[in-house]
Amino acid sequence: MSEAACAVAVEGLEKRFGPVVALAGLDFAVPAGSVLAVLGPNGAGKSTLLRLLAGLARPSAGQVRIGAAQDGDRRRVRGRVGYVGHATFLYPNLTARENLLFAARLYGVAEPGRRADALLDEQGLEALSARPAGSFSRGQAQRLAIARGLVHDPPVVLLDEPFTGLDPTSADRLAARVRALATAGRAVVLVTHDLAQAAALGDRALLLVRGRVAFDSAPAAPSAAALEAAWRAAGTA
Amino acid sequence: MSVVLAILWKDLVTEWRSRDRVVAMAVFSFLVVLVLHFALPARDAAEARRLAPGLLWVAYVFAALLGLNRAFALELENEALSGLALAPADRGWVFLGKAAANFVILGAVQAATAVVFALFFAVDLWAVAAPLAGVVALGSLGVCAVGTLFGAVAVRTRYREVMLPLLLLPLLVPVLLPAVDATAGLLETGTLRWPPVQLLLVIDAVFGIVSFVSFEYVLDE
Repeated sequence: MSEAACAVAVEGLEKRFGPVVALAGLDFAVPAGSVLAVLGPNGAGKSTLLRLLAGLARPSAGQVRIGAAQDGDRRRVRGRVGYVGHATFLYPNLTARENLLFAARLYGVAEPGRRADALLDEQGLEALSARPAGSFSRGQAQRLAIARGLVHDPPVVLLDEPFTGLDPTSADRLAARVRALATAGRAVVLVTHDLAQAAALGDRALLLVRGRVAFDSAPAAPSAAALEAAWRAAGTA
Repeated sequence: MSVVLAILWKDLVTEWRSRDRVVAMAVFSFLVVLVLHFALPARDAAEARRLAPGLLWVAYVFAALLGLNRAFALELENEALSGLALAPADRGWVFLGKAAANFVILGAVQAATAVVFALFFAVDLWAVAAPLAGVVALGSLGVCAVGTLFGAVAVRTRYREVMLPLLLLPLLVPVLLPAVDATAGLLETGTLRWPPVQLLLVIDAVFGIVSFVSFEYVLDE
């Protein structure tokens, strides 16, 4: 695959926290219009990987390229990435709409009001737009956090366990949304513990164990059975 | 620039709704004035004018420490600080937005504190209100510049409430010396002495530029 077609390219990526090696020599690429599912037990380095891809942390070695933007050009990297982390990044005293307005202004979105309204509508939160985010249930806050992550319409979307706290209807809606993002040409990196979800949504799956790739489904799309076998073989069951 | 305005708007709206920072700062600075009033009673107007500059700035610095500690504490909830760090702008603009909000909030508390101080110490601050406001604003610029930088550093440490005063107070000496000097000159003669004001301008510029440039690394993990 040509480099230009890869929305995300990672080469020799390492991250160390003092003597602790969180990620050791990762190499992979995520083409535009595809979903990479990243699996692994707690402490495998999944969230660290996403924070490196998002430009929130600097690699100890190796490099991350987001489209044409390299890791050294971190402003451009951050502008091309939509990141939905474990935490929601929401301000409890601001309303749902104000949280999105604020995020839109941070990203320099044209017509932030219209964009905020469109995202609230998309996430089924239009009736709650004037309510403070602090009064939201876990599921509502998660939907608002996803809207926040997509506020600047990024070509690369990083989702860190986004199904946590969602009811089945919202989870189904999010799964459809993830597929729609890929269909629209975005590269999606999805961190999840759910093997079935990874198999259903991923075009490729990586299993991380102690910062290393223990299983890579490429070039095939992942199957639930293959992921479960790899999970057991890696001693993570 | 839109990042600066967005952060300023966000901080002022959240503060307006909760009022927890401004109330805590105001009550604390009033109590400091009260304690100083009893600890260092002025026997006459001349002694009050002599004591006032230093005591007023003590109250201002304590209020600022409290407020600067809270400024980034609100960014810890839901890891909102990471949300700010993701903005695709020079992080110096994030610094300017936070520092501007700190400056506005501190200014409101300082104005209220000045009124209480004038009542307790029987000092006529009203006669020099305009130049005094200018001196206080210049001093506060330096306090907020370096305080915002170190507030962001301290918020990620385990003992952040203790860490900020330890880091900040020694660095505030270059701001406080000319600020107190300029305030003393105003209260004694009613006119502004330019050398301390010029020194304040230089220190504000140095602190502002260093903090603006350093903030990129402060927000990194």
